[in-house]
Amino acid sequence: MKKNVYVYLLLLPGLIILLLFLAAPLFSTVFRTFQGNEGLTLAKYIAFFKDSYNRGVYIRTLKLALLTTLIAVILGFPTSYYISRLSRRARGLYIIFAVFPLLTSPVVRSFSWMVILGKNGILNSILLKLNLIEEPLRLLYNEFSIVIGLVYLFLPLMIMSLVGVMENIDEDLIEAAESLGATRREVFIRVIFPLSIPGLIVGSVLVFTGSITAYTTPQLLGGSNTTVLATLIYQNAMSLFDWDTASVVATIMILTTVFVTFLINKLSSRLNA
Amino acid sequence: MALLSLKNISVAYGKNVVLKNLNLDVEKGELVSLLGPSGCGKTTTLRLIGGFVEAKNGRFVFNGKDYTKIPVHKRNFGFVFQNYALFPHLTVFDNVAFGLKQRNIPKNEIKKRVMEILETVGLKDYADRSPRELSGGQKQRVALARALVIQPDLLLLDEPLSNLDAKLRVKMRLEIRKIQQEYNITAIYVTHDQEECFSISDRVAVMNNGVIEQLDTPQKIYNLPRTEFVANFVGFENFIELELEAKERGGGGFYKLKNGQRFKVTHFNGREYERYVKGAIRPEEIDILNEGGGKETNTLKGIIGISTFLGKHYQYVVETEVGRLLVNGSAHKRYEKGERVTLYFPEDKIVLV
Repeated sequence: MKKNVYVYLLLLPGLIILLLFLAAPLFSTVFRTFQGNEGLTLAKYIAFFKDSYNRGVYIRTLKLALLTTLIAVILGFPTSYYISRLSRRARGLYIIFAVFPLLTSPVVRSFSWMVILGKNGILNSILLKLNLIEEPLRLLYNEFSIVIGLVYLFLPLMIMSLVGVMENIDEDLIEAAESLGATRREVFIRVIFPLSIPGLIVGSVLVFTGSITAYTTPQLLGGSNTTVLATLIYQNAMSLFDWDTASVVATIMILTTVFVTFLINKLSSRLNA
Repeated sequence: MALLSLKNISVAYGKNVVLKNLNLDVEKGELVSLLGPSGCGKTTTLRLIGGFVEAKNGRFVFNGKDYTKIPVHKRNFGFVFQNYALFPHLTVFDNVAFGLKQRNIPKNEIKKRVMEILETVGLKDYADRSPRELSGGQKQRVALARALVIQPDLLLLDEPLSNLDAKLRVKMRLEIRKIQQEYNITAIYVTHDQEECFSISDRVAVMNNGVIEQLDTPQKIYNLPRTEFVANFVGFENFIELELEAKERGGGGFYKLKNGQRFKVTHFNGREYERYVKGAIRPEEIDILNEGGGKETNTLKGIIGISTFLGKHYQYVVETEVGRLLVNGSAHKRYEKGERVTLYFPEDKIVLV
């Protein structure tokens, strides 16, 4: 009995930090958004969504995050499968390659995309030289460049989550499925994919929450008409000093993330059945 | 004609040659074991037949057709893996049904066949369990059921019992043999366990260094090994160099030892006469007599060295003029270290290799 009490004592430092620096500010942020002149009210939320500009920002953010997640899944799955089947040594090397972008700051990485995608950037000059286009394409400061930047930013997280799960899929299982008459494609659909779903969930949640809350990439690679929730918070808080609206946006962001995470989980477990 | 034949098969991983011109014929309905120490190529042979390993040279003919290049999923062979390889995301039922679903068999037919085979392996009530909830023996049964339910043309088993405890192994090997005979299915069974192998096989292929040293019935392998490796593997611990002196009618003959002593050998495993051979004998077949006992031939003088108690008997290391020999003696009498004895080698217990 006494021993148990001491074990709980070990939780205390972490608990204090979490309560003080996470739970309390979070609560005060969320709480003020429901505060009205006469008790609790949803007025601020209703006002937020009544504004068509805000609705547009919300839908754009959601769209960009979902698109980024989808592309990360499509790009990450085959890559991860390939890496997971390599020898232990080669696997480590490839993981390092995959994670390498994470070692530089998002600012630097966004700048490098500016160099590539800009009007006189690398991509445009190559396409012009090859006579594939007449005049430079507008590749920067739009949703396209934001998605590219976000995918590049968060793909390593997807790959790491997937490889972590896929490398534990025993080669014997693949051989067993083949011996029972499954082609390579069927092995993938009936064995590898269902067994990778836990990694897919973790990866998708990481990429989605990362994308929906990303600030630097949309700020640097996006334009004036590609405002997302994170940049909206910044505008409200730092330019307009409207802390109430900033809090409303922050709360909406949190709720959306929780809801989508829940949906991804639900969807995945249905796929698994 | 044999159902399955491997013709001059070679397999190499890079420079490492695993199988060298291997030949093997298996008849329909037979259970043939591949027996040998680790690294002898037995698992590679099985995986080659299964289609998981590609041959560098040679052909694999099955049922009159060339199977060398046929991909795994088109072979219709059941494969039972050492670690069972059950799909962790599927129930026992769905694990067993996997191969049938692959064959587009109607749902009610699948259900009937899966339940039938689960009943055969005694797991009818476990259909809805997850593989996680099963014991090792039960997993093994599911793996067996999964391989059998597709009505395979050949059943391949890769050390299927090596992860089970000793008692369960004995029980399971009897069950595997029973089911194999009931379904009259041709099977190839890889193991390193001699007893297991002898108890369930029609024929045994003893492998060493990528070749089959001997392919015979378990009785012949055990009693009449043809090579030194096989003899050693089945427990012939003593090898004495012999030189042919005189042939005898009906096999056997007189042989001279290095020290001039003569041995008569009657037990002949059908080999051609060769001038220089080795006589192999088990420790338990050599008799220990008091010094000077026995006849002139088939005896050797020796001095008792280290002795160990093995329960049923004592085992002695005996120094003789032709080298160190291992000899088992009765548990009732213990010879002391340094004692001089005469060893008697019964003429029908020596096998020439």
